[in-house]
Amino acid sequence: MDNSVVGRAVFWLARSTAIGGGVALSVVVVIVVVSVIGRALIPLGLGPIQGDFEMVQAGVLFAVFAFMPWCHLERGHAIVAIVTDRFSPRFGALAEFIWDLLMLVAAALVAWRLWAGLFDKYGNGESTFILRVPLWITYSGGLVGALVFVVAAAYCVVRSGQNAASRAPTKPISGMGE
Amino acid sequence: MSNVELALWSFPVMLGLIFLRMPIGLAMLVVGVVGNFLITKSWNPSLALFKSLPYSTFSSYSLSVVPLFLLMGQFASLGGLSKQLFDAAASWLGHRRGGVAMAAIGACAGFGAICGSSLATAATMGQIALPELRKHGYSGALATGTLAAGGTLGILIPPSVILIIFAILTELNIAKLFVAAIVPGLLAAIGYIIAIAIAVRVRPGSAGAPYPRVPYLERFRRLASIWPVLLIFFLVIGGIYFGWFTPTEAAAIGAAGTAVIAFLRRGLSRASFIDAMLQTAKATAMIFLIILGAAALNNFLALSQLPQAAVNLVIEQGLDPWAVLIVMLVFYLVLGCFMDSLSMILLTVPIFYPIVTALDFGLPPAEFGLWFGILVLIVVEVGLITPPVGMNLFVINSMSKGTSMGQTFVGVTPFLISDIVRTIILVAFPAISLFLVQWLY
Repeated sequence: MDNSVVGRAVFWLARSTAIGGGVALSVVVVIVVVSVIGRALIPLGLGPIQGDFEMVQAGVLFAVFAFMPWCHLERGHAIVAIVTDRFSPRFGALAEFIWDLLMLVAAALVAWRLWAGLFDKYGNGESTFILRVPLWITYSGGLVGALVFVVAAAYCVVRSGQNAASRAPTKPISGMGE
Repeated sequence: MSNVELALWSFPVMLGLIFLRMPIGLAMLVVGVVGNFLITKSWNPSLALFKSLPYSTFSSYSLSVVPLFLLMGQFASLGGLSKQLFDAAASWLGHRRGGVAMAAIGACAGFGAICGSSLATAATMGQIALPELRKHGYSGALATGTLAAGGTLGILIPPSVILIIFAILTELNIAKLFVAAIVPGLLAAIGYIIAIAIAVRVRPGSAGAPYPRVPYLERFRRLASIWPVLLIFFLVIGGIYFGWFTPTEAAAIGAAGTAVIAFLRRGLSRASFIDAMLQTAKATAMIFLIILGAAALNNFLALSQLPQAAVNLVIEQGLDPWAVLIVMLVFYLVLGCFMDSLSMILLTVPIFYPIVTALDFGLPPAEFGLWFGILVLIVVEVGLITPPVGMNLFVINSMSKGTSMGQTFVGVTPFLISDIVRTIILVAFPAISLFLVQWLY
């Protein structure tokens, strides 16, 4: 992580978004557990939470989108570095720059099309089956992470671009996730 | 160029991009979108597809099990269960020659029962077992090799993220796949223990001092202390199997259970909770980018009709089913030296699975799918411990100061041999994977 104001701001934003996604995932866990216990206690007059499936879907959707920027910023995506590591650090740095650029295009495509999808759902008034939540609201949940992803991807382009253009570029180190 | 040829050519192009360090999920996505354009001569189908594809993929109820199992593994790491698992295993195995390493394998197997991820298992058990191994004078090679191999038990013993993805791709029953994986997973643990027993006899210098023998009363007492692990395992696997809840619900209950244990054992602080969230975020996003890329790629492949063409070709040629199967398994082993297991599964199963299901192995179709799933699971997991880029090797090696990567490569060799032997046994005797499913259903 670099110490410039922009660098710190982007990291803070991506980290907060990821933690927000994690909290949403934890809320999903609680909803499911309560719902399963309720279902098991139907004889005692309790019952499952209405629309728990839909809550799981909406929560996980929000979480997965919210996780994207942090993973990219931390260089967490699965890559194969064995070939590029045999060449000079500049070669690896240049490759990272190009793919970061392409990742920005992909992030922008996803955000743009998600927005278009949201607009469609807003227009036709579609809603979820049981809870009757308008779909444009669940789309908006995804859009939060998708937009932060675009910001993070743009930052990564600058980061790897500066590295590739510098006098002595460092070899990009992957911090692959699981 | 016909569409099928186009799709065939897309594979070397994609592999080329991946070997140029392009993120694997992104490479699949780009090839899928560009391939779609080359077939339809328009960007509009892709633009329309992306209105709904990321949304439907990320909000898929069946895929929601993936982040929940990853969360469960993170909480399990915080609960201090790894130490107790190790102590319990050490009381049973520790007094043997190579016993500390055997105990590490036993503990990994136990942790694998509540963790669906290989790297999390390797990293968590490594923190506990590596210092013990070094303290007892084990060589760095054997110590790191043991834990890298033991980590794969996280995936081989259900629950397993890889198996879930396989089940979704092939529309097989997750509960049956989990049940089918239990015996081969236990065989893997036993095979690794045998590998250690042989390795320390071939190179007596690699093993250090054993633990003192523990009386049986104490052994059972320590075994009883790991009851939370067993409870969560049976709740998760049994719950899915008996139909008490869906796999997603089971994963959520497992995550809640491990979180409660972590909380009760004071492993859950604000800082460790945030760290668990960020680790889950990284792992989940990595997996879902690959899943999204694979969805875009498969859209293109389906459009090109390559999968059907491949099936027809294999049937027309009248190839020997066993030869086809063996070529596929070897292909996974080779590709696994360079690529992660999930990418391999998502890349190959949509093509391979229709082909093998069209061939006759003398098994009913439903059972064949389970058997094939277990075989694929095992060979892709071998990729985690094969040089040059086995990820478990790097994780464990970075945790062991003073051990070179070369020593780790040497240390993992007995376990690789054990993996190969087990694969051959499971190919030759499908019943080992299937009898538990047949018996229970």
